Amino acid sequence: MQVSQDMTMARAKASATTVVEARGLDKSFGSVIAVDKADFEIKRGEFISIVGPSGCGKSTLLRMIAGLTPRSGGSLSVNGREVTGPRGDVGVMFQKPTLLEWKTVIENVLLPTALKGRVSEADRSKAQALLNLVGLQDFAHAFPRHLSGGMQQRVALARLLKIGSDILLLDEPFGALDEFTREHLNLELSRIVSDANVTSVFVTHNISEAIFLADKVFVMTPRPGRLAAVVDVPFPRPRELSLLANPDFVDLVARVRDIFSKGETA
Amino acid sequence: MSSSANTNETRSWLWRVNPTHAAGHAGLLVGLLVLWETGSRTGLLDPLILPAPTAILAALWQIAVVDRLLWGHFGITLYEAMAGFVIGSAIGIALAIGAALWEPFRRYSAPYVVGLQVTPRIALAPIVIAWLGFGTTPNVAIAALLCFFPPFLNTMTGLLDVDRDLQEMFRSLRASKRQVFTQLMLPTALPYMMAGLKTAMTMALIGAIVGEFISASEGLGVLMHRFTFQLNMAATFAVLVALTLMGLLLFALMEWVDNRIVFWRHDERMQEISRKRAAREAGRAATETPGTARVAPAGRT
Repeated sequence: MQVSQDMTMARAKASATTVVEARGLDKSFGSVIAVDKADFEIKRGEFISIVGPSGCGKSTLLRMIAGLTPRSGGSLSVNGREVTGPRGDVGVMFQKPTLLEWKTVIENVLLPTALKGRVSEADRSKAQALLNLVGLQDFAHAFPRHLSGGMQQRVALARLLKIGSDILLLDEPFGALDEFTREHLNLELSRIVSDANVTSVFVTHNISEAIFLADKVFVMTPRPGRLAAVVDVPFPRPRELSLLANPDFVDLVARVRDIFSKGETA
Repeated sequence: MSSSANTNETRSWLWRVNPTHAAGHAGLLVGLLVLWETGSRTGLLDPLILPAPTAILAALWQIAVVDRLLWGHFGITLYEAMAGFVIGSAIGIALAIGAALWEPFRRYSAPYVVGLQVTPRIALAPIVIAWLGFGTTPNVAIAALLCFFPPFLNTMTGLLDVDRDLQEMFRSLRASKRQVFTQLMLPTALPYMMAGLKTAMTMALIGAIVGEFISASEGLGVLMHRFTFQLNMAATFAVLVALTLMGLLLFALMEWVDNRIVFWRHDERMQEISRKRAAREAGRAATETPGTARVAPAGRT
């Protein structure tokens, strides 16, 4: 355990630049407080999971970072610049694959590039390389309708990586998939983002998934949506599925679950 | 997926005859014709009400091949229906785009749109003829008037039916309004538009014929009128057969166009495109191996 602690510390030290910084971040929809005065920092290269039950404001928090939802109060900056709207250094992946059914897989991956201007030959090679990375090398010219739900989300992941932003926001990306596919994709996601050296923020309502993927878990409690705790995850990378049965891992899941039950009694 | 997908699929079962049932279809048709023919020959069916199939066929031969009377009229009616279809659909689609993109226009035009829809528009035919006089022009106008509605309504519905998550995705990619329209709204609306256009095509033909019934000097409607006055029922039915063939021709044309444009709603066509793209990619990779950085334009289908 000591070794892994040191490794985590080393990782944190090597990449200590703050990329996302929130101070007193607020969001209310009418009289409903979705996010109540959140303060947090996200460092470069970190994998953050935001976990909490439905209605705790975790998606709202992510959407504020993405610039898709305006905040009601407080300050929020990404890469040192205040968030005012959607931006190029932040990419978002949604729960639904959001693919265009009239475009082939590779055209879907190239969409972010096509919207910015011309698609070059280099872009096409890059898109093909990303499809290889997500295991879809043979499906470049298939149409989304001919792919399974899991494969469609792989396309969405390749498209997210094609944007080339250094911060990835993932809003329950595998939430609609079955357990087996989800575990498998989580494992791949974990491998891909640590290779790509990007900062990731992953929203989920599944505690063990949140811990399995993350360096730090943001625990949110509902009514009003509040960032209740930030839990460090000490396990080394690369992580294997066997980690799910590790007693330390199970303890950590119980600790996070505890935060929720305390929130309810309070 | 959406309701328009169903529209396309229900259409395709009408369109496609399962080859295993071909014998059954042919048998049924022949059986009905024989029954009809027998009824006529035994005097059970009055030839002034329903002439025998052979008599209709003979009349068709007479007006189409011997007298060559049919073709001029066929062409006129086809022209009226097509011109009316193009004009009516273009106006319908243009208004729908305006209404979809500009909320005040949608709000203020809605009562008139409903008013126009509940009015039996065919009743406007005499008025249109009074305005535009004789010849083909009023019939084109009637066809346009009759067929404008389905493309209008379907285009607007389609443009407003854009998936919210896709809209969010485009927003997160910082797409311009123009890009959202051309690359998201328009493709989303296309299946709806095609369904509307198919209905419009049928209605345009009805409009052209009704116009000809009321007042015209040429066209299949005029020809039918003339034959009924002469009590030449076989020839009247022959013209009706010609109209059915025209309808079938236009329907097939629309199905073909639909298959090309809204290819992502047709599995076979999609697979064909996938195969072609893959083959082209493979070909390009082969020609480019000697290190030439030739940039081929990204083609589209």
